[in-house]
Amino acid sequence: MSETRGHALTLREVSKHYGSFTAVDRVSLDVGQGEFLTLLGPSGSGKTTILMAVAGFVTPSAGSILLDGSDITPLPPEKRNFGMVFQGYALFPHMTVADNVAFPLRVRGLSRADRDAKVRAALDLVQLGQFAERLPKQLSGGQQQRVALARALVFDPNLLLLDEPLSALDKKLRAELQEELKALHQRVGRTFINVTHDQEEALSMSDRIAILNHGKLIQHGKPLDLYERPRTRFVADFLGKSNFLEGIARLPTAQGFTLEAGGLNLAVRGTAPGEGARCLLSLRPEKIGLIADGATADNVVEGHILAWAYLGTGYSLRVATPSLGELRVALPAWQATIAPSEGLAVRLGWSADAAVPIEDDAA
Amino acid sequence: MDGTYPAGASRGLAWATALYLVLPILIVLPVALTDQRYLSLPEHGISFQHFRTVLTSPAWLGSIWQSFTIAVAATALSVSAGTLCAIGCWRISRRATDLVRVLMLLPLIIPSIVYAIGLYRYFGPLGLLDRFLGVVIAHGVTGIPYVIITVSTALAAFDPRLEQAARGMGASLSQTLRWVILPRIAPGIFSGAIFAFIHSWDELVMVLFIASRDVFTLPRRIWDGINENLDPAMAAVAVLLIFFTLLLLLADRALRRRNEG
Repeated sequence: MSETRGHALTLREVSKHYGSFTAVDRVSLDVGQGEFLTLLGPSGSGKTTILMAVAGFVTPSAGSILLDGSDITPLPPEKRNFGMVFQGYALFPHMTVADNVAFPLRVRGLSRADRDAKVRAALDLVQLGQFAERLPKQLSGGQQQRVALARALVFDPNLLLLDEPLSALDKKLRAELQEELKALHQRVGRTFINVTHDQEEALSMSDRIAILNHGKLIQHGKPLDLYERPRTRFVADFLGKSNFLEGIARLPTAQGFTLEAGGLNLAVRGTAPGEGARCLLSLRPEKIGLIADGATADNVVEGHILAWAYLGTGYSLRVATPSLGELRVALPAWQATIAPSEGLAVRLGWSADAAVPIEDDAA
Repeated sequence: MDGTYPAGASRGLAWATALYLVLPILIVLPVALTDQRYLSLPEHGISFQHFRTVLTSPAWLGSIWQSFTIAVAATALSVSAGTLCAIGCWRISRRATDLVRVLMLLPLIIPSIVYAIGLYRYFGPLGLLDRFLGVVIAHGVTGIPYVIITVSTALAAFDPRLEQAARGMGASLSQTLRWVILPRIAPGIFSGAIFAFIHSWDELVMVLFIASRDVFTLPRRIWDGINENLDPAMAAVAVLLIFFTLLLLLADRALRRRNEG
């Protein structure tokens, strides 16, 4: 199924107020045909409210929602033809797996024969063919999740909406199902909109991520772009881990500028914010390396290890530096040049393009 | 203050209370089997003649049948009105619906004699006095609280996301109601129905006010029997009533257990 059968969705200045509380604040967003978009944010960021507004369970206080260019804002959920996987799946406990999956077809008045064929195809799609006659409570969490997926896809929905679809599963199963969900998206070629607070899930599954905080859309883009070039402090902090370096911008250079911070002049690639302007940098822990005595890098700072942890794939270090304060450093473990211990003196280095200028949106 | 009272004393008190509750019910059993012609304990042996009287007398059988049909019709009324009201309040769920729910419990709170006087006043002009329909309405409306209580309890355990899921998949309100909500709360509805039935089946006070000759329910006949003659047939009827009610309560229990299991 290489053809794109998805539909495009547009949010235009969508807001939702509950009394004086603003759950969603003028969010505009385009979701392309066949795209897998994830709404990512902490709890209370408005991501679920947006999904519920798309599904039709929440009426926006302002703004409109368009499907392929036509306004669907006033349509009730039962008229939208969207598939949805609910948090906790919301399978009907009194129906068998097959009856659950057949429900949207029964609602549409399909004949029993048509229903049976489609239900079989949908259950095969999620590899649950042999469980058709079981009750939901006789299935494991991962199997229930797949029944919910089959049920949401069986009636050829215009969109598939996923509300924290993996949050009830344990970590290992979650990783498996992330891959499965991504593969399923490619197989069915539909537009998926997923909501999660799990940044790892968002990065691994999505074509595009929209990051929300306090009801506002902060930044959206491809996972790689968001991770590598966060626009604000919130994005850098929420998507992955980050060190923050604050200083004054000086001297535009050929490829960037110099940041004066803690008595050091740090080389930064990128557009200078203007001579003398306050500037904040995001520096990912894995972009900082240990530098041997005598070796150099674009930026070098000395310090000593405050605390460290071994994580299997790598070491996580907290290094105290006299000039820049505390820095988090992530090192691959198997070729680490040191054996970390508390108080050990280290030289840290990073290249000019490792740190990214960001906006400070911290409250 | 644990252990202040000896365990034996509190256990004795509990048994005394239980006996106090059960003895008046049990006393009708020997009385129903009396060999005398008046309300008394058996003297020379037990006899089933009074059961025979009840089960062959057109008057008693007529009352039993009338009570049964009234109870069935009143239950249908209570169940449909009570279930819809409970579902409506649950779906809308605002402060106003809490008020509605409390209002609906009024028939339980207000003494039935007050209700009966009111009914008597306005059933007269409507021509509902001493009519099957009048008693059905009176019993049906006062049975609503039982249904509302049991159905609301069932709905409290119902996951509202199931309703959202159904609607999201395109189900209309009536489809959601028939295929998702009602099957989930059916045990609550059945419990409510059983209580509403029992309520109508043994209701006397309202019947005394709004019925006289044409509608002569079983409780009414027992009441008249007590007042006019002391026929042990009443004790036989009482025994039959107790067994019937017990049966209904056991059905309710079995239903609940099956649902929990």
